Amino acid sequence: MNTATPVLSMRGIGKSFTGVRALDDVSLDCQAGEVHAICGENGAGKSTLMKVLGGVYRPDEGEILLGGRPVAFRHPAEARRAGISIIHQELSLLPERSVADNIFLGLEPTRGGLLDRAAMQGGARKLLERVGTRVHPDALVKSLSIAEQQLVEIAKALALDAQIIVMDEPTAALDERDAGRLLELVATLRREGAAILYISHRMAELKAIADRITVLKDGKLVATRPAAALTPAMIVRLMVGRDLADFFPPPGDPTKLGPAVLSAQGAGNAVLAEIALELRAGEIVGVAGLEGSGKGALGRALFGDEPFTRGRMTIDGRDGLIASPRTAIAAGIGFLSDDRKKEGIAPQQSLRDNVLMTLRAFAQRLLPPGSGAMARAAADRQLTEVDVRAAGFAQEIRELSGGNQQKVVIGRWLARDPKVLIFLEPTRGIDVAAKAAIYQLMRHVAERGRAILMISSDLPEIIGVSDRILVMHEGRIAGELKRGASEEDVMHLALGTGQAEAAA
Amino acid sequence: MSAVASHTVPSAALRFARGINVGLAVFLALYGTIAVLQPGYFEVEGFLNFLRRAAPLIILACGQLFVIAGGGFDLSMGSLVTLTVLGGSMLAGGNPENTWWTIGVLYLIGLGVGLVNGLVVTLLKVPSIIATLGMLLSLNGAALMWSGGAPRGYLPENFRALGRLVYRDVPVTGIMPLSVLILIGFVGIAAWLLHATVFGRQVLAVGDNPRAAELAGVPVGATRVLVFVISALSAVTAGILLGGFAGVSTAVGQGLELQAIAACVIGGAQLLGGRASVTGAVAGALSLFALFTLLNLMGLPQPLRETVQGLILIAAVASSAWRMRRA
Repeated sequence: MNTATPVLSMRGIGKSFTGVRALDDVSLDCQAGEVHAICGENGAGKSTLMKVLGGVYRPDEGEILLGGRPVAFRHPAEARRAGISIIHQELSLLPERSVADNIFLGLEPTRGGLLDRAAMQGGARKLLERVGTRVHPDALVKSLSIAEQQLVEIAKALALDAQIIVMDEPTAALDERDAGRLLELVATLRREGAAILYISHRMAELKAIADRITVLKDGKLVATRPAAALTPAMIVRLMVGRDLADFFPPPGDPTKLGPAVLSAQGAGNAVLAEIALELRAGEIVGVAGLEGSGKGALGRALFGDEPFTRGRMTIDGRDGLIASPRTAIAAGIGFLSDDRKKEGIAPQQSLRDNVLMTLRAFAQRLLPPGSGAMARAAADRQLTEVDVRAAGFAQEIRELSGGNQQKVVIGRWLARDPKVLIFLEPTRGIDVAAKAAIYQLMRHVAERGRAILMISSDLPEIIGVSDRILVMHEGRIAGELKRGASEEDVMHLALGTGQAEAAA
Repeated sequence: MSAVASHTVPSAALRFARGINVGLAVFLALYGTIAVLQPGYFEVEGFLNFLRRAAPLIILACGQLFVIAGGGFDLSMGSLVTLTVLGGSMLAGGNPENTWWTIGVLYLIGLGVGLVNGLVVTLLKVPSIIATLGMLLSLNGAALMWSGGAPRGYLPENFRALGRLVYRDVPVTGIMPLSVLILIGFVGIAAWLLHATVFGRQVLAVGDNPRAAELAGVPVGATRVLVFVISALSAVTAGILLGGFAGVSTAVGQGLELQAIAACVIGGAQLLGGRASVTGAVAGALSLFALFTLLNLMGLPQPLRETVQGLILIAAVASSAWRMRRA
């Protein structure tokens, strides 16, 4: 490796979002002809770092040097013009336009002020050949497979003649063969002198392609080492190594578990396969997995939001697949969405109206809204029980902090008291004090003989709260771990490196 | 806690006032101006006659309010009014004996229109503004075809009485138009449904955040269908009253849907759903009707009145958006 001025150098980058430190003093460089891999758990700051580089966010601290010269991007277009091309995890192609249109978007060749279609076609064909696909330049992007779209996205980066290429989990959506082809392409680009930042969870890939590996955790840089000096086990330990805070409630008593209240066998749909699980009254079962592993889809399938299309389900002794949220609730399931704003609160309604929403959803339409269990006093008792901090319960819920909104939505379910509660990312975007309160509440509910399925990307939370842990990988349950499992065990199953299977 | 509350949370009375004050203040100002020009409006009799003529718009506004509260629009109201008037005269054919079953049939038509609107929106996932715009065109076409392009037949006297009969020698008020009694009953039912039932809370929840409502178990589809049925039934009611004093014409319902929407918004309803008040909608309809009356008294020509109506709709929505941002 040459020791000349690096093509890209990021120095002491810091970035905060409304008080949350997303990046803290991260420094990183990349030479021409080098593949520099970046890994870390969900939320470690990888994507934020790439967005800073790509001009989407402006850093609060630190500077970016290109070939030794400091730059400050105010807009993604400026980063592109400076020769930085970012291939995002979510593809950013226009589905209704042709492949050639997409490749040259914003760089359209012109002749005499008019679009030069022939040049665009020819150029697109050459670029597509280079990335090794036979996709036709005139094909509409929406007609392509995800793998083909990924290759078009890379062709788009090449059209720019970028010296710095950032790839954010480019193989996540690809099968073995396409992933192999993509790695070859990365190797070619490296030979041609590109500086490549490569984000991935796949250990085998990192070993195969990376020259250096940087591990991020909680927005901080843990280590940058030559890839040859790291084993997959060492990488995983660097990614997760941290102390568990002591705000988790005590575990459940395994001798007090009740009967099975929810079970599924061989269940599946478009994104899930061979789901088999059983929840017993009184336990909190954690579900871990990487982004795209299907853990969220599992919760939505059990709740009938994106239902299972095959397999069997039993709820509280009754058989049958759940077809809609309403039937799920009637059968005794509750569901906390991971998107509180879009799927949890009715923002302009009062705390009382929000906490009573599910009770009212199943009440006679013409009853007074405050009759029986829906009385104002009952609502207030529920809001007090979940310890909502608000100026008054007639307040509109949108005026509350995220943590208090979440407590109201949880209260909505406790008021109905279903047998099974499915919690998706119950503490996402919530401050530490509210987190601890929600964990206590969950344990409390479990002790009353309810079962909780807690689906979370937050590993410490999974480890600290769950009585046992299911780990998902590529739409399947990759394994089950007992309480006391380490974050390494979970990560191995989640990454599909498989070394922890014996612990199940 | 109440001490804290008074600093950060508007009291229920203040919220109530904020909901209707614009509509009510505008109405009082306009009505005062009218009364200065035509002193008869200051008397109870004058006011009740004003109410009688405003009744159809108020009823339409109350019906529209349910759809708006649920996050939609019903543009088919005005054409359903036209169909009610034309259909009523065709069916009854001037014979008083036909009046009651004719009214029954008209309500059945309204029920059908509301169900179709609701089902197209919920099952076919067509945005309500498009679905009801299509319904507007279909109903106008159907009304014209049925009547052969020009109003035929006429409404029997006992049918027209619903809109124009005035009881004399009533204690306290002196006179009492039948349509004002119908209006009071209708507004009472609307206020009860929206503000004093579980259903009303479901409508507001669906309008505020349909996904959250669905995941909380609220029967979103059924609720949406019901608000369109309520809206259609209110249009039939308004049509029956209008037929009574406006007579039979092919343009009788034209533009009423926009007036009803404007009335709701002037009354503080949130255009994208989740916030609505029957009191506000009534105040909004009253101020709009007072404005039309005033423009009429000032002798402005019809096209100019329509221009003013359009400007008011835009101003009302803009001020509602502005209030929303500040809230």
